[in-house]
Amino acid sequence: MAKRSKRFEVLAKRPVNQDGFVAEWPEVGLIAMNSPFDPKPSLKIENGRVVEMDGKRREDFDMIEQFIADYFIDVSVAPEVMTMDSAQIARMIVDINVPRTEIARLAQGMTPAKVVEVLGHMNIVEIMMGMMKMRARKTPANQCHVTNLRDNPVQIAADAAEAALRGFAEQETTVGVVRYAPFNALSLLVGSQTGRGGVLTQCALEEATELQLGMRGLTSYAETISVYGTEQVFVDGDDTPWSKAFLASAYASRGLKMRFTSGTGSEVQMGYAEGKSMLYLEARCVMLTKGAGVQGLQNGSISCIGVPGAVPTGIRAVAAENLITMMLDLEVASGNDQTFSHSDIRRTARLLPQFAAGTDFIFSGYSAVPNYDNMFAGSNFDIEDMDDYLILQRDLMVDGGVRPVSEEEVVAVRNRAARALQAVFKELGLPEITDEEVEAATYAHGSEDMPPRKVAEDLKAAQDMIARGVTGLDVVKALAKHGFEDIAQNILNMLKQRVSGDYLHTSAILDQHFHVISAVNDLNDYRGPGTGYRLSKERWEEIKNIVQALRPEDMEI
Amino acid sequence: MDARYIEQLVREVIKQMSNVAGEENTPAASACAQVGKAECDLQPGKDYPLAEKRPELIRTATGKKLEELTIENVLNGRITPQDVRITPDALLMQARIAEACGRKQLAQNFRRAAELTRVPDERILEIYNALRPYRSTRAELLAIADELEQKYGARINAAFVREAADVYERRGRLRTA
Amino acid sequence: MVDSALIEKIVEQVIQEMSRLQSSGYAGNVDRTSAAPAIAQGQGLVLAEKGEARPGSDRSEVVIGLAPAFGDKFTRTIVGLPHADVLREIMAGIEEEGCRARVIRVGKTSDVAFIAHEAAKLSGSGIGIGIQSRGTTVIHQKDLPPLSNLELFPQSPLLDLETYRAIGRNAARYARGENPDPVPVRNDQMARPKYQARAAVMHIKETQFVVPGASSTELEPRFH
Repeated sequence: MAKRSKRFEVLAKRPVNQDGFVAEWPEVGLIAMNSPFDPKPSLKIENGRVVEMDGKRREDFDMIEQFIADYFIDVSVAPEVMTMDSAQIARMIVDINVPRTEIARLAQGMTPAKVVEVLGHMNIVEIMMGMMKMRARKTPANQCHVTNLRDNPVQIAADAAEAALRGFAEQETTVGVVRYAPFNALSLLVGSQTGRGGVLTQCALEEATELQLGMRGLTSYAETISVYGTEQVFVDGDDTPWSKAFLASAYASRGLKMRFTSGTGSEVQMGYAEGKSMLYLEARCVMLTKGAGVQGLQNGSISCIGVPGAVPTGIRAVAAENLITMMLDLEVASGNDQTFSHSDIRRTARLLPQFAAGTDFIFSGYSAVPNYDNMFAGSNFDIEDMDDYLILQRDLMVDGGVRPVSEEEVVAVRNRAARALQAVFKELGLPEITDEEVEAATYAHGSEDMPPRKVAEDLKAAQDMIARGVTGLDVVKALAKHGFEDIAQNILNMLKQRVSGDYLHTSAILDQHFHVISAVNDLNDYRGPGTGYRLSKERWEEIKNIVQALRPEDMEI
Repeated sequence: MDARYIEQLVREVIKQMSNVAGEENTPAASACAQVGKAECDLQPGKDYPLAEKRPELIRTATGKKLEELTIENVLNGRITPQDVRITPDALLMQARIAEACGRKQLAQNFRRAAELTRVPDERILEIYNALRPYRSTRAELLAIADELEQKYGARINAAFVREAADVYERRGRLRTA
Repeated sequence: MVDSALIEKIVEQVIQEMSRLQSSGYAGNVDRTSAAPAIAQGQGLVLAEKGEARPGSDRSEVVIGLAPAFGDKFTRTIVGLPHADVLREIMAGIEEEGCRARVIRVGKTSDVAFIAHEAAKLSGSGIGIGIQSRGTTVIHQKDLPPLSNLELFPQSPLLDLETYRAIGRNAARYARGENPDPVPVRNDQMARPKYQARAAVMHIKETQFVVPGASSTELEPRFH
């Protein structure tokens, strides 16, 4: 074009036009939901055994189909639900007169194609209504990421303490350099329990290594146990439904909470979607997870968000996959955890379904650090968006799982966490944390504000720490010896959780008194206006009172 | 190795033997017989969380009570890593709670986990790796199943591994030679 | 090694790239332009097939494994770098360190880890490089498990020609038994929203050229 419209030039420069978009290509699975190539729902049962599912005979089942047929499908419910009209089921989901338990019961008898057909009848607002009713835990909560570019342990401790103070119920870290993992897990544990007792922590690593850190008592749950919707991609990911289900039991056998991870787009991203829509393949993941006896799932596309995000109705499909998880009575950590768009408008819109409806964990990783320090390649919202997020809570009167905090209390808790970690490092014979580092971590925003550490020494000591068999109890001892009895007590209380196993149940989190809140004792009972989760007076006061607000009584007259 | 620990070991062995002799799906029932009648009637509303509402039912893997898990006992060395491990009984009780909530797969996972409490950390990691695709021959998987059943009384897990061997064979996911 | 013709070509491409970016802010337009066949014709790479690829015995060789559509069905990476230039830079990097580059086509998989592992297994030094059409690259060693690697460059939109040359150099250093510092890579978290879907489309298209079980083919690259 020789001469360009000034208006189109302005539009071309808008951030949203930095995002990538593609047209649907259903033949290869590049379609969010309701592909013409998705199987039609069908189910045949003989002698209590599924012999045909979604148009496929049992002898032709791949591993995933066999697992779903034998471990997920409830053959006592299936004949009933499979003959019901899908549009009717969709209406029941949004009908406040049909209780959650009834939908959850019916969902146990659906095939992947059936549940996808049901969701296909729902628009985004109906999906949100479904989420509000179907999520397992009544009280919504939030999870954050705590990482940094240099795996600096002092900074992790300080950021974890601040994030705990801000209200996150779960914290996830990971590593830049794999060998740093024991330090990251340790720093997150100490920091989180300084900020607020009862915060659950995890360190995302390769499956076997992640379990090992949990066994040592350095983490209290796990999440990066990935499952996929086609057999080829599952095997390329070096697992099978059986190996993953065994891993799930291994975690429970050590009293450790865990959930699986999946998400739309992963199969098509890896080139083997078998011509099925993203949501159809994700439905298989959710059912597989349920069949494995895992209490919950992290989904909402997760690291593949750029794929559903680029196709039509992709973000609706992402909300739909969260809803399927809730319908199956599983905990959901609902995504929003990866850089999604150059456009602030678009990334806020992507958040709204989970935020407004409420989920077990609205973000499965709100970046509690600036995105440049986020080692999960950035989150949809980061710490620099925190005031925006707090004001969204206040504007819409929504519990987004965080609370306003003052600069004074943040500085104090960061300092204390850094000093506590300093003491633990000293007691365990790990490389020194200097007073200068404690000071820097107290006031830091990101790793650019931290003095460099001797990485080689740290890495050697981290490996040595594992070789010596350092456990959570050694951390308790170290803290108690150095005058941090309350933090020591908090960590001991975390270790006690794995003796009773109460927090292994669906959607479990801990409050500051280490009281378990789960879908057993806090089951969602939404039945329309005035029921289900409502902000308490105290919680609303907390959300309302942002420091930015002018108080008329403070004016001169 | 103190007397209490030996006692615990003996209890474990006896329980395993009774499990092996018992019916296919009765691990929960055997736990009830073990600790008393109360757990058979566990109700989510009344008894959960167990640590708060039924602390008397919870023991550490070495037989200590929850209230003994104190900072003082950590410092004086009375509490060891073995004390912060869950017991098969606790998992079976949680399985009953899960079942009462209508979560039968979660309950079954807790039952498999109860069996795996007896398998050492290292061995668990090895078995997990052996179950990954193309890692094991059929014979190797069947040997693991036998080991789980005979050495650890892990019958549900043994059946699960045998099933995996069949599926892997049908789908060509075994290690060849 | 860097002749004037090459410099001329690079300058020409950079100018083209810049004028294209200026004329259209829409990311979608960039894609359409870069896929234009006219440019693909001028890429200057011919990959002559020389029969089945055999294991090499030269301990100073590094084998470069090309994904099914590289330099053939596709001629440019995800950000429009000509495959000819990418391949030439990797080979130049290898030769710069005194090693020999051998090129093969891996047809049985489009997974970059497995392509690189196949290259490594056929390499006399045990070191191989795998590269996909979109530009994703791995340096591999034959004794490592397939999903492991020596160096992985997963963010294809951030790889430039300089990086490809450095990848070649490092692979050669591994081949000589050295333990080089990994090639530094840029990190851009906004690459996901911008390129992830396009990367998926390229990968799907490349995967459609996979021939399961096919043996790899020896290639003789000619640049002009």
